[in-house]
Amino acid sequence: MNGAQRYSAWALLRARLAGPGYWRSLWSGATLKDAYDVVVVGAGGHGLATAYHLAHDHGIKRVAVLEKHLVGYGNVGRNTTIVRSNYLLPENHYFYEDSLRRWERLSRVLNYNVMYSPRGVLDLAQSDGDMIGLARRGNAMRLAGIDAELLDRGGVLEFAPELAVSGPRRFELVGGLLQRRGGTVRHDAVAWGYARAASALGVDIIEDCEVTGIRTAGGLATGVESTRGYVKAERIVFAVAGHTGTVGGMLGLTLPIETHLLQAMVTEPIKPLVGSVHVYAHPHGEAYVTQSDRGGVVMGGFLDGFPSYTREGQWYRLEDVVQTAVALLPHLAGLRILRHWAGTNDMTMDGSFIIDRIRHDNVFLNGGWCYGGFKAIPASGAACATFVATGTAPDLIRAHGLSRFKTGHLLDERGAGPFPSRQ
Amino acid sequence: MSSLACPFCGPRELDEFLFHKTLPEAQGDEYAVYERANRIDDSLEHWQHVRGCRAWLRVRRNPSTGEVREVQLLGRGHS
Repeated sequence: MNGAQRYSAWALLRARLAGPGYWRSLWSGATLKDAYDVVVVGAGGHGLATAYHLAHDHGIKRVAVLEKHLVGYGNVGRNTTIVRSNYLLPENHYFYEDSLRRWERLSRVLNYNVMYSPRGVLDLAQSDGDMIGLARRGNAMRLAGIDAELLDRGGVLEFAPELAVSGPRRFELVGGLLQRRGGTVRHDAVAWGYARAASALGVDIIEDCEVTGIRTAGGLATGVESTRGYVKAERIVFAVAGHTGTVGGMLGLTLPIETHLLQAMVTEPIKPLVGSVHVYAHPHGEAYVTQSDRGGVVMGGFLDGFPSYTREGQWYRLEDVVQTAVALLPHLAGLRILRHWAGTNDMTMDGSFIIDRIRHDNVFLNGGWCYGGFKAIPASGAACATFVATGTAPDLIRAHGLSRFKTGHLLDERGAGPFPSRQ
Repeated sequence: MSSLACPFCGPRELDEFLFHKTLPEAQGDEYAVYERANRIDDSLEHWQHVRGCRAWLRVRRNPSTGEVREVQLLGRGHS
């Protein structure tokens, strides 16, 4: 381990005896070299996880992660921290289940506490039609060996007593689909944990280094142009979800991606109220509500609805997320919102992600994560690293190539048509 | 960006409008059904004033700043 300290009870004791100054920084300040085996663009969850698995699983030591801002500055620090694998389509639920199994072990694997909290993800139904949809999704999951429980109204209220309100609801809860192993993970810790583990394996993490273009020769990429100069690379991985459109521009490609905003907000801290992750949707809005360890109620909803790179959320969306959350949990009505933010999302044409070669044989794209980026990080890193190291896409992501938009084998979880804003 | 200027109704709140799609740069390719230009500083889009006069609009915007550059009516004699 290249300078990383192993965390354990013994380490705490040693630190106590050694006094202040014992703990070193999580990753070392690497200097940019002239050439690498793999250059990963973007030090978010996917880029760092890919770099970690390249070094750890495949023994590729000369790996650099180039980041425009700071480690974890983008979407890995802007999401609502929910992890789950309750997808309908096999291509998606097997992948996200692989990810969820990795989340369960990740703190031990990285020797860094990512605070995985399997508090349960509960999708709520307000009509018999909703129940049929949830039953279909739950059955698809159970056939794949993934845990899913269809609850009736009594079951929902037993699992989440906070949902029992004394007054009448405009739309009564009919039931829900529960995935008990779903829950939340501390998002920043994921970026830090992967950065620390990758750095310990010799990966150079270079912050404040924006990639502005690539150089090619003979049909292959030879390296990247950056604000810190030219860096030679045998292989290049773009993991810049939210800004994948700019990669398309860089390579002269149009991609099946639009960039949209997704908002999230958190209230002032209160005593424990929301015991699991509640997902509450109706035709006019959606809210997913969870409570952070500090007590703030975290909420998110639909996209703003039109392409934007501004990271400035629209008021009408905030309003409708809050209204939906209050309709679900009227106790939230008096709370103040402390923070509110928006992140840029790569929205693909079918709502599923893309990991594939792009334009050149040695350039890889890891993007198009739509809403599913954060929960996918561990599986994405492992699968993408295998693809980059061996040149063959592992089964888990074989269906997620760009060719599906040519052949029409779309992974359209919602069946909403080729409209990124409706996925 | 919090409003759009409809050619019929004048400036209106953004939630009166429904964004439909961005236009692909390359037309004519069957693949283009799924392609979007998605430029960081320039976007040509179809919108509809659904909660107003229901006119279809072609809007040119800068998605990095929210600046609306042009709003035109879509349809015969306009597009």
